Amino acid sequence: MVAIIESRKFRDFDWLLTLLAVAIAVFGTWMIYHAQPETSYWKKQLIGLGVSSVVMLAVAFTDYRKLVHIAPAFYAFGLFLLVIVLIPGIGLKINGQRCWIGVPGLGQFQPSEFMKIPTVLMLARYFGRHRGSHLRFREMAMGGVILAVPVGLIMLEPDAGQALTYFPLLAVVLFLSAIRMWLVIAALVVMTAVVPAAWVVGTQTGLIKPYQQERINVILDPENADRRGFGYHTWQSIVTVGKGGLTGSATRGDASQSKLKFLPEPHTDFIFAVAAENTGFMGCVLLLLAYAVLLTKLIHGARRAPDRTGMLVIMAIVGGLAFQIFINVGMALGLLPVIGVPLPLMSAGLSAILSTSVAIGFAISIRLRRFVN
Amino acid sequence: MKFEDETQNLKARMGVIHGLVFAILAVLGVRLYFLQVVNGGYYSERAENQRVRLLRIPAPRGAIFDRHGKLLVDSRSTYNIILSREDMKGKDWNELLGPLSEGLGVDPDLLRERLDEMSKQPAFEEVTIKEGADSADLAWVEAHTLELPMLLVREQPQRRYPENGTLAHVLGYVGEISPQQLKQAKFKDYAENPYYPGAIIGQEGLESTYDRYLRGKDGYRKVEVDSRGRIQRELETVAPQPGQDLVTTIDLEMQLAAEEQLRNSPNKRGVIVSVDPRNGEILALASYPTFDPNLFSQRIGTPEGRKEANALLRDPLTPLFNRAIRGRYPPGSTWKIPMAVSGLKQGAITVQKSNVACGAGIQIGNKFTRCMGSHGSPEVRYAIKVSCDGYFYRLGLKMGLEGIMQMVDEFDLNKRTGVDLPHELVSWTPSREFKARFNPRDPEWKDIDTVYASFGQVYDFVTPLAMLRAQMAIANGGRLYVPHLLREARPVSEIGPFAARPRRGFDRPDPKLIDIPAEQHKLVIEGMWQVVNAGGTGGAARIEGFDVAGKTGTAQVVGLGKDVGKNKDHSWFVAFAPAHAPEIASIALVENVGFGGKFAAPATQKVYMAYVAKAHPQLAPAAAPAEAAKKQAEAQGVGHQ
Repeated sequence: MVAIIESRKFRDFDWLLTLLAVAIAVFGTWMIYHAQPETSYWKKQLIGLGVSSVVMLAVAFTDYRKLVHIAPAFYAFGLFLLVIVLIPGIGLKINGQRCWIGVPGLGQFQPSEFMKIPTVLMLARYFGRHRGSHLRFREMAMGGVILAVPVGLIMLEPDAGQALTYFPLLAVVLFLSAIRMWLVIAALVVMTAVVPAAWVVGTQTGLIKPYQQERINVILDPENADRRGFGYHTWQSIVTVGKGGLTGSATRGDASQSKLKFLPEPHTDFIFAVAAENTGFMGCVLLLLAYAVLLTKLIHGARRAPDRTGMLVIMAIVGGLAFQIFINVGMALGLLPVIGVPLPLMSAGLSAILSTSVAIGFAISIRLRRFVN
Repeated sequence: MKFEDETQNLKARMGVIHGLVFAILAVLGVRLYFLQVVNGGYYSERAENQRVRLLRIPAPRGAIFDRHGKLLVDSRSTYNIILSREDMKGKDWNELLGPLSEGLGVDPDLLRERLDEMSKQPAFEEVTIKEGADSADLAWVEAHTLELPMLLVREQPQRRYPENGTLAHVLGYVGEISPQQLKQAKFKDYAENPYYPGAIIGQEGLESTYDRYLRGKDGYRKVEVDSRGRIQRELETVAPQPGQDLVTTIDLEMQLAAEEQLRNSPNKRGVIVSVDPRNGEILALASYPTFDPNLFSQRIGTPEGRKEANALLRDPLTPLFNRAIRGRYPPGSTWKIPMAVSGLKQGAITVQKSNVACGAGIQIGNKFTRCMGSHGSPEVRYAIKVSCDGYFYRLGLKMGLEGIMQMVDEFDLNKRTGVDLPHELVSWTPSREFKARFNPRDPEWKDIDTVYASFGQVYDFVTPLAMLRAQMAIANGGRLYVPHLLREARPVSEIGPFAARPRRGFDRPDPKLIDIPAEQHKLVIEGMWQVVNAGGTGGAARIEGFDVAGKTGTAQVVGLGKDVGKNKDHSWFVAFAPAHAPEIASIALVENVGFGGKFAAPATQKVYMAYVAKAHPQLAPAAAPAEAAKKQAEAQGVGHQ
């Protein structure tokens, strides 16, 4: 019996997805090495990758339904961590943000990264019941509450970038839970109308401060905006990306933008620029394709999920990953303002790679159980 | 899907999300294409620009030598320790005072003064902490780069000029190019070896005239820097090409002799210039008082140096002023020589009958202008020998203003000599316009004005060099050379990317020719010979065996009878030798001392002795060898003090 289960598990295990995730992470580690060859970030990332792989397998071979069942416990524990990280002495303050908890002997971790998993599970658990009708307002409000509590705590750190990445989780879950289409369309229409209007009103009345306007100007015209001040990160990132050309400069032997410290935060926020500089357009397109295949694989898994809960878990993960990729790469390419969001599987950081691995582990676990019911 | 139902068309909604994912990735891909493939070259260049810096390696400036190869000016490398304002932002000056004054041995009060001054300066200006840093200072700075990153070492080639102001007006000096100069076409449009802000250029004298020869071509270090401008590695080094060495026409020993004469004169003011009348080469050019050009090349960057320079600028005795080309003086009786030559040429007098009455003076209207003596009706040689004013009053009247103006024009006395020094002035010479301007209350030109103009007063104001140029042409029979100081700019061979630079000579060697018939010429030369050798007014210039010919001049500075004290007459002497085959011609002016024969003539004699000692040692008096040896020793020491 055990053997039969094992062999079926082995056959149904999504090897391609696993390998793709590991391959992107290995590529990421290589880029971290390029970004900071003299530091130990890439070694730490390699260790993180090893740990993450084990955790990913562990999650994959665990029945996700059991985990969803006890999701409230995870959620509560996550909230507890988000509270204690705010306490000086436990939470470490880095660059003005108190979002790290130091663990003696292990380094430090970021509760806001991990909190995404329980949030996704809680949302899936709540919205995963059989649906016979359109989404009711009460349900939407409940979803809002599940999201608002961790996001509120994260905003206290404050880490707006990380908080932002929570919204697509709810958006996807609501979208797939029979929210009325006119609500979606209305929301889109209101947004496209309100944002420019707010900009005009804000700049006219002075509610949007000059330095905030400057950040937007940087995106509109990075070369002529304040290249030494607000525009510095964006401009240097664009130069670094552009410099990579078609095939990248890794083989040309001249010192890289990150090595000469022109590119800030090269191993975390701007890891994509490092990859662009070193591997060029070819490498970047391959990376984007890898993400496309990875996300497509996940969506396929969601389509075959044994239940709504599993489908929602995977799709929320897809939404979260796609959103982070867009924000991070868009920032590196000068399309979006600088927001500190890690690039999934690429940016250095144990918390980020571990939480992404757990998420992918869930997806594999759900797929493994597609015929069970 | 088992959980799908009619109300939610879930499949389509998942398709929308899938489509959004692809759309997002496609947008990023398109943006990447534009950044990397379309504009990759542009951004590559931008990255290159911020990573690569060219650091200038200043080229050594050419040295300057005298005609016999004695070193007059050279450059040596010195190091200054400067404070970068960029790295000082937001730091407290006062914290630096202690460590800096201790580490570099700078007086803390002086340091505080400089730091205070810095706060008033524009932000881009550097502050020099210490000039002429030695190797211990450099090592100290090197060792403290981490704590004191604002300290920088700047190599500065420094020009060394002879001590005691020797040749100051000839050599000039170097200094930093000014923002105004950078806008002038002369500097802005010189693409071959571009001038740049902060460049050291010749500001005066030969340094200025021949700046393009003297300046080398700067090399550079191509280095890679990080975002904070710290050098990461050397990429390429291109060695500079030194500038061309100049060999001047100056004979250092004659120059020192001339300066010694002026230094020992009663007022220590005047000019002595000697040229070779066979080609216009200037052998000595002394103008007193003089100044120390090292002030401008070495000390001008310090507050003390600036104070010193301001004092020089305000000095009423104008030591910065090259009197030979910028001083306009009435030439007194030296004017009579071109008058005599032109009088003969124009037929006012003839070789056969050159007698004109002296009359002890001349009566024009109700004004009598007297002569110093009563000379009867002398011929021209005698009139020159005794400097008879009455003779030349009447000669001037015979020639008329037009004749005098023709003479002035023929001898180029109304033009610049073209000497290769900057800022030469044009002499003032007699003309109706000049009188109208000079004396607007009585603008009409009258006979009395012609009388004044004919003996070198009132309407004649010449620069010593213009006068010497005319006298030199009279000495050599009519060849009006351009007096000049450049013998050659030595060639420089090709170095790296810099092409070889060829030898250069003076670019206007051909003289203007004045037709002076031989017998007329002989007559005037004989008169000048008699001035020195036959009991004339210039006996003090006589050298046994070296036929010196000359003419004294005593120029009134103010009206007669007031010529005492600081208003005393200027003492002139023009001369050349040997009289019938001249090798040397000269002019000497000693300001406000009195009679020409008493001061300028003996000064000229001393300078000629220095020439004779070298060129004709057999003529030198017995005592001369020892003296010459002493002079030689002095001369050799001059550039190396």
